[in-house]
Amino acid sequence: MKTRIFSLAGIAVLLALCIAAPQMLDAYSLGVALQLLSWIALTQSWVTFSGLTGYVSLGHAVFYGLGAYVMALLWQSAPLWEILLGSGFAGALLALVIGYPALRVSGPYFVILTLGLSEFFKYIVIAVEAGLESSGRLIFGAPDPETLYYIMLLLAVVATLLTWGLARSRWGAGLRAIREDETAAETLGVPVTFLKIAAFVISAFIPGVVGAVWVLRTTYFEPMQLFSPTTSFTIVTMAIIGGSDRAPGPIFGAAFIVLLSELLWARAPHVYLVILGVLLVSFVLFVPKGISGQLAWLMRRRRA
Amino acid sequence: MSFLRVENLTRRFGGIVALHDVSFSMEKGEILGLMGANGAGKTTLFSLIAGNLPPSSGHILLEDEKIDGRGPHRVNRLGVARTFQIVRPFATMSVLDNVMVGALYGRSRTLSQPKAREKCRAILDEVGLADRADLPAAALTLAGRKRLEVARALATEPRLLLLDEVLAGLNASEANDALDLIRHLRDSRMLSIIVIEHVMKALMRLSHRILVLHDGRKIMEGAPAEVANDPRVIKAYLGETRDA
Ligand SMILES: Nc1ncnc2c1ncn2[C@@H]1O[C@H](COP(=O)(O)OP(=O)(O)OP(=O)(O)O)[C@@H](O)[C@H]1O
Ligand SMILES: [Mg+2]
Repeated sequence: MKTRIFSLAGIAVLLALCIAAPQMLDAYSLGVALQLLSWIALTQSWVTFSGLTGYVSLGHAVFYGLGAYVMALLWQSAPLWEILLGSGFAGALLALVIGYPALRVSGPYFVILTLGLSEFFKYIVIAVEAGLESSGRLIFGAPDPETLYYIMLLLAVVATLLTWGLARSRWGAGLRAIREDETAAETLGVPVTFLKIAAFVISAFIPGVVGAVWVLRTTYFEPMQLFSPTTSFTIVTMAIIGGSDRAPGPIFGAAFIVLLSELLWARAPHVYLVILGVLLVSFVLFVPKGISGQLAWLMRRRRA
Repeated sequence: MSFLRVENLTRRFGGIVALHDVSFSMEKGEILGLMGANGAGKTTLFSLIAGNLPPSSGHILLEDEKIDGRGPHRVNRLGVARTFQIVRPFATMSVLDNVMVGALYGRSRTLSQPKAREKCRAILDEVGLADRADLPAAALTLAGRKRLEVARALATEPRLLLLDEVLAGLNASEANDALDLIRHLRDSRMLSIIVIEHVMKALMRLSHRILVLHDGRKIMEGAPAEVANDPRVIKAYLGETRDA
């Protein structure tokens, strides 16, 4: 009960700080905060599918890139919020189309397939853009950083609530059962195909919107960059380091990596990548439940 | 009308015929024993009835409704639950959460989590796992995991329960308790139960009727006393060495 009050108070303070941030931060720091929020939203969405089902998607960049593309194509031809929703639905729709065939395989095959499909889609977009004789699209008159910040904050909060709610729901129980043993799950009545596809579609919506907001921030759509597999890799790294079975995980993971990259990226980019690799391997081997899982365990032990 | 009717069921794996033209039927509330040496096709029969495998040919009818080829989750919702001989716990989930999956999804479809939790605690109590409800399933012994298989299956509220060697690895007094439990389950829920068991004596005492498989074929079906004295059964059984 006491810990519950503490964590609720903690969340309230954190949220208040996030809301006040644009008034307190300079332009550079606000940019970092925006980045942090976008990673939280992306990683949180990934966890609602991959964290719970154990089907590791290395293709979430495709939903992000598609959202950005939709925004780049439609900007100023419809109200902002309509395009944002459209970007989300585009991501979800693509997940539905990819999900049905892709979710028939599992384990390493699924990982490779999602990566392959996402790369494939990237080159389709590049080909289409070349066909339209467009080499990159500039976006004029994008909203100011503060507005984008608040949209991203909303996305991060919604994504977090979604993971939190899903993880403790009936669907969450079914998805975890699929992760642990798919055959046993379906034998107990879990509609595994439906649940997997539903979770995949849900987890693609917010990345679509995040991509749309991000392209407004950079004001330039360039497929190689927005569909870059690095985005997918970073999401997975954050989820593994933070913990992928509960909502606090992605927040810890994203904060940790963004901080690390702020400290090291500019000064020692090579060291940064080495450290990232070492961390990733160490967490997989020694802290499989990530920072959040480790903290939960420590708290349980202190109480016991 | 029989409760369960199996008609000319055949299942091949490549060149192997694991089950060959097997037919039988059973009534509501009946306990049917399933006997046969290693590789006789017993587990395969369960996988076909529960929908984990499609038959190569033949049909399975539950109260005259065809259930073959429907897929396991639909078959479960119609009221068929099985346990796995090679146990398949959801290892990192707690024992209670394992059972919850059955209650939330199976035929019972208890959508409210507090209700499902209450129900599952009662079932864990019935099978003797109440004191281990909050442990991760991975922490259970093999005997514990077998009980967990039974608890999960029960949580789905089946009408037909398929028990695949749930007594294996139990000592004599534990096995006795388990037999009492199976009888109690049948009486309290009017369950029909098919039991696979290598311990002949236990199966004789428990079953109303026994069906014997050998090399995928049904070689005999009848009352326990008849089966025990049948020369074909004796030959099929004593002709092979068993670990039991
Ligand atoms: N998935 C499978 N693929 C190939 N062959 C299989 C498969 N499942 C079972 N078999 C074969 O089918 C036959 C029947 O196997 P089954 O597991 O049904 O026997 P069983 O009666 O349950 O034996 P046991 O007493 O050892 O559990 C065996 O020859 C087995 O090797
Ligand atoms: Mg078997």
